Amino acid sequence: MRISITVNGDPVVQPVDPSDTLLSVLREQLHLIGTKWGCLTGDCGACTVIVDGRSVVSCLQTVGQIDGADITTIEGIAGRGRMMNDLQEAFVTHGAAQCGFCTPGMVVAAEQLLRDGVEPDGAAIREGLAGNLCRCTGYSKIIDAVLSVALARME
Amino acid sequence: MNGYCRPRSVSEAVAILAANSGAMVIAGGTDLVIDRRLGRADPQAPLVDVTGIDGLRDVHWDGDELHLGATATVREIESDPAVIVRASALAEAARVLGSVQIRNMATLGGNLCTASPAAEMAPPLMVHDAVVAIQGPDGERRWAVADFATGPRTTILASGEILTNVRLRTPAHSGSCYLRQTVRWAMDLAGVGVAAWVLTDGTGREAAVQEARVALGAVAPTAVLVPGLEALLAGAPPTTERLGAVSAAASAACKPISDTRGTAEHRRHVAGVLAARALSIAHARAAGLWSGGLAPVNGRESAVASSGARA
Ligand code: FES
Ligand code: FES
Repeated sequence: MRISITVNGDPVVQPVDPSDTLLSVLREQLHLIGTKWGCLTGDCGACTVIVDGRSVVSCLQTVGQIDGADITTIEGIAGRGRMMNDLQEAFVTHGAAQCGFCTPGMVVAAEQLLRDGVEPDGAAIREGLAGNLCRCTGYSKIIDAVLSVALARME
Repeated sequence: MNGYCRPRSVSEAVAILAANSGAMVIAGGTDLVIDRRLGRADPQAPLVDVTGIDGLRDVHWDGDELHLGATATVREIESDPAVIVRASALAEAARVLGSVQIRNMATLGGNLCTASPAAEMAPPLMVHDAVVAIQGPDGERRWAVADFATGPRTTILASGEILTNVRLRTPAHSGSCYLRQTVRWAMDLAGVGVAAWVLTDGTGREAAVQEARVALGAVAPTAVLVPGLEALLAGAPPTTERLGAVSAAASAACKPISDTRGTAEHRRHVAGVLAARALSIAHARAAGLWSGGLAPVNGRESAVASSGARA
């Protein structure tokens, strides 16, 4: 089957096995390797991408189901021509990344949470990011980074 | 069909399933994709994707019945205003299932059809006396959701049949609540999940119980209704003494196993505690006494809200 999708603003027409996962199509066919290959069981969130305005774990997203969809991966989160957006900058200034393996999924999930208007409140952000595991930071700095952007974007 | 197809209507899906006996239905895929990769489900089985079917995802009122489409996502269920106010237990169960990402994918029907003993959607639908609609080669049949799962990962669905919707009524002066106990506060299966539903004869503290149901998840091969509650509760408000009897009845209805999420003894105890708590919240909602919104995630008031600490 051939799917037509939009990836980070660009139209893509791609022959796929419809029962393949979006994660494997992104990484192995489109060579967008920022989206991480983690647990493959939906538990770690390292593979999080945005599909039509909703964050999903791409390791469980069957690609036949998303023909026509608008997809944003970590490579497109800052928008065209920009290195980083405010959220990514905040991860840097707060020291919210160590090994960095969780970071793309964490940033993508947090970005969608912010777009959905999450309350600027540590508990709400923790709850919203419960599906993203980090083995390094202890989460505090990640929550601080997201909180700072939630507050800044309200202004 | 080849390995995958995406029908646009229920009748098309049923015809495809009839013609391909090995085919499997896929909705959100949050269980099936893992099962296929790990060989717990046949990775070669053709997939019939029901998420493209028109109208199968709708949540709406049909007269006085709340109609929940089988492919409505758990996230849509948890944020639906009608569900939050009129079927609070279902919203409370939906918002603690998995993560945001999982809830954006997982569907109401998928959760019921996978039929995990810890299926989060089953207890609240059971206390709301919900009815499932099943479409097959011989037309539609309706079935009480309480009798839908027959064991761990087995249901009454015959081959070629699909679940299309779930319906429930929410009479005036009724209220419900879902509470659960988990080891971690998120991304965990319930050690015990308890839903309660109460119909009262009016409002206020003295409102008497007319009907009551409590269902338990994760403490038996399928979610179970606690028997005999009417006799314990009908005709009076749920006093401390009566709630004690509800606890005992709930504990007695458990057939738990011991695993990493708790020992059988602990589960039996917690089921009793949560049953009384959920029932008194359901009564408060039915009687118009509740202004607290939905129950906090995992029923731990302070742990998440005040300190952000891992409970
Ligand atoms: S790789 Fe998808 S959730 Fe872990
Ligand atoms: S920074 Fe290493 S896993 Fe999060």
